[in-house]
Amino acid sequence: MSPLTQPDPAAAAAIAAHRFGLGEPDLALVGEDARAWLRAQIGPADPQRGTGLPGLAEALARQTAARPADARDAKDALRAQVQADMRARLVTAATSTRPFAERLALFWCNHFTVSLGKASTQGLVGAYEREAIRPHIAGRLVDLLTAAVTHPAMLRYLDNHLSAGPQSTLVQRLGRRSAMAAAAAAAAASSGAAGTDAGPASTAPRLTGLNENLAREVLELHTLGVAGGGGLYGPWGGYSQADVSALAAVLTGWRGPRPGGPADATAGTEPDFDPAWHQPGPKTVLGRRYDAGPLALRAVLADLARHPATHRHIATKLARHLLADQPPPALVARMAQRLTDTDGNLPALYQTLIDAPEAWASAPAKLKTPEEFVLSSARLLRVGEQLARRAPDAGLAALGQRPHYATSPAGWSDLASDWLGPEAVWQRVEWAAQAASRQGAQVDARALAQASLGVLLSNATRQQLERAADGPQALTLLLMAPEFQRR
Amino acid sequence: MPQHTAHRIDRRAWLRAASATGMGALAPWAGLSLAGAATPGGPRLVLMILRGGMDGLSAVPALGDPAFADARGALGRFASPALPLDGLFALHPALPSLHTMYGQGELAVLHATGLPYRERSHFDAQQVLESGGDKPFALDTGWLGRALAGSTRKAMAFQPAVPLVLRGHTEVDTWAPSARPDPGADLVARLERLYIDDVPLASALARARELRDNGTMPAPTVAGGMAPGMVTGQANGQTNGQTNAAGSVAPLAAPRQAALNLARQAAAFLIRPDGPQAAVLDLGGWDSHANQVADPGPLVNNLRLLDASLAALREGLTAPAAGDTWRRTVVLVVTEFGRTVAINGTQGTDHGSGGAALVLGGAVRGGRIVTDWPGLAPAQRFEGRDLRITTDLRAVFKTVLIEHLGVSPAQVAQAALPGSEHLPRLDLLRS
Repeated sequence: MSPLTQPDPAAAAAIAAHRFGLGEPDLALVGEDARAWLRAQIGPADPQRGTGLPGLAEALARQTAARPADARDAKDALRAQVQADMRARLVTAATSTRPFAERLALFWCNHFTVSLGKASTQGLVGAYEREAIRPHIAGRLVDLLTAAVTHPAMLRYLDNHLSAGPQSTLVQRLGRRSAMAAAAAAAAASSGAAGTDAGPASTAPRLTGLNENLAREVLELHTLGVAGGGGLYGPWGGYSQADVSALAAVLTGWRGPRPGGPADATAGTEPDFDPAWHQPGPKTVLGRRYDAGPLALRAVLADLARHPATHRHIATKLARHLLADQPPPALVARMAQRLTDTDGNLPALYQTLIDAPEAWASAPAKLKTPEEFVLSSARLLRVGEQLARRAPDAGLAALGQRPHYATSPAGWSDLASDWLGPEAVWQRVEWAAQAASRQGAQVDARALAQASLGVLLSNATRQQLERAADGPQALTLLLMAPEFQRR
Repeated sequence: MPQHTAHRIDRRAWLRAASATGMGALAPWAGLSLAGAATPGGPRLVLMILRGGMDGLSAVPALGDPAFADARGALGRFASPALPLDGLFALHPALPSLHTMYGQGELAVLHATGLPYRERSHFDAQQVLESGGDKPFALDTGWLGRALAGSTRKAMAFQPAVPLVLRGHTEVDTWAPSARPDPGADLVARLERLYIDDVPLASALARARELRDNGTMPAPTVAGGMAPGMVTGQANGQTNGQTNAAGSVAPLAAPRQAALNLARQAAAFLIRPDGPQAAVLDLGGWDSHANQVADPGPLVNNLRLLDASLAALREGLTAPAAGDTWRRTVVLVVTEFGRTVAINGTQGTDHGSGGAALVLGGAVRGGRIVTDWPGLAPAQRFEGRDLRITTDLRAVFKTVLIEHLGVSPAQVAQAALPGSEHLPRLDLLRS
């Protein structure tokens, strides 16, 4: 089948709904032309559903207010906001009429992970996803990359707000101050004064220089890919420790909004950039020289977004997310080439995927992550509105994937082997049984299976559904069937 | 069939008076508020739905029918003697408490009963059983819900969601323990069949099963204990996520304890002066396609559990704190269909038509078999395979709604059980 041939329409609707989308209760929603249904969804993600969802400034204010140990009400408010953000993410995806766009938004949120697992990011992840990721999923890669890396939530998550240039005015000043304090302490000691607590330890400056955390992850996770990675899909990486350190120096000063409000808006300044922390002088990243100042980061990110290794890395991750744990190398190569040819045009990347005959193979190869499983179950049962009403995470913590709490900057795994632990599968069974105990009596699982899965529904599963002892059991079996667990 | 009697109204009036004066029932959860207005005392109806199709000829074997032994084969031979009811019928030896109640005149057994539905699908039959329609999905609310609609009478479902049978009424509470439902051995076996061609899922499930059976998985968070998770309407108190990240669950042996606890819990609510007038309980796992005589085995275990649950319910309703609740109670035990008369190739039975139902309680005129017995010989069966239905279950519902709950015949005919005007009322209740 060439990229221009249409897949079998009956299979195509089911594949579009479940593999590209997030599951549908009725394939009639997809219509005759599955590719057109997907194409029409390409665009920025819709605004999230929910009321009072905060922007960054509000979220930061809540975080600050909740810091004192006795600020009970403020801590409650922050907790409520974190739950509202979680609900917004789940309910939006579970009810969206543009599920392909939602899937892409979830993919990019995971690619550019910011997790609530750190004190510095408390309450910020919802705002981050709404501001840095969702508006930018269908533009140019450089804009998405820049929005993600320079968002204060990311800057804090990967410690960049603590990273200072060793020769920055701040570190110089702190150095002078601590030298003076040390001298004063020495003088006090030699004059015999007792009881001073100005020992050497407390006079050392807290900040002396770089924190490479964000720089390394930008190169390793967000753009070029880990050195030595790629394998079948062409080389990733191609950067050295010197490049990491140089990028860290470029990143210094990018700290997020200053406590006293935004800096004066004169030309060449950035509200989230504090020049006092910035390492002066030119830096060389991947053989290119960048002058000091906030513009350097934008220039480096533009070059990284243009880099063929970045394109291979991102093409591999997207194909892996969508199609198979080991996606076809030829398709990955076409996708990467398309990014290169279009200077990082993301809609063109998605279009290549939609056009690819490899994407329409009928056997579902991907195991759903817990979040995909929960979202698609809610969509199947048309209960997306109520999904997170009882628990803001819809039970996902027990399934091992608490939303907004990824366990590392690499995000959640897209490999089945990481989700197939016995306890994980057992938890899915229990989640399914619970959902079915609430919904199963009102739902004819046999009809639903046919309407939702169409030709993907196997005879074996159909038979098991027919034989189920009651409605809830049949629905549990449908939710746990291989063709619903996979996509 | 019996005629209904005009003095039932008087009886209810007496019950209301008695309960208003004589009942200081100890409320186990004094702080809980229940849906609906408080009408102290009053009749109690418990509907227990046996999902999966209980084999009526195992629960209530027609030992005296000349065709019984031949048709049932191994299924007709019990390890210990069946418990005799009359010359024709007996109870399965796993039902000793029910046998005692029968002897005390508190249990009436219906046989060759069923629904106006003959297609043998669990889903469709349960939909008819609960909706009270004459065919599947003709009605989308429940007969009991419609019978109570417009009144302030309370109903309560002892499961996470409001079951179809109670839908249509606004005053419905649900109560369920706050643990996730245990998937159960039957479901796991079905999943294993589902995963025959999916090795990764199959091996993960098998491993999980093994770990559970060995007891190496984390202990259940609510083992045995019942955290009241009582809320009004559709919701259930169970929340997971942050507090239960370890996600532990009950072992496979737990369903028995859970069912008994649920029956005790139901009793505790029913004895409250402001308790529900109608309660719905589920007992699943009756789809006995194989190994029906195995002991322990799925069917025999389930019969024991049924017996123990009903005994626990009776115990709760006759306890000192319960006052006269048992005398005001009718318990209906029904299933969506019976099973084939003949044994199948796997020592079990397949989906059939007519089966048995139980009506028990202090308000029941028991110690009797209520049946128009059609016989078990092949020519007497429905389509040559099933026990023929000679008593429409809706006649039982109609009788209990009108004579026990005091629902007006007009409301029953027009709303609760449309199309039931021609059905006779049965002689089931004490007058």
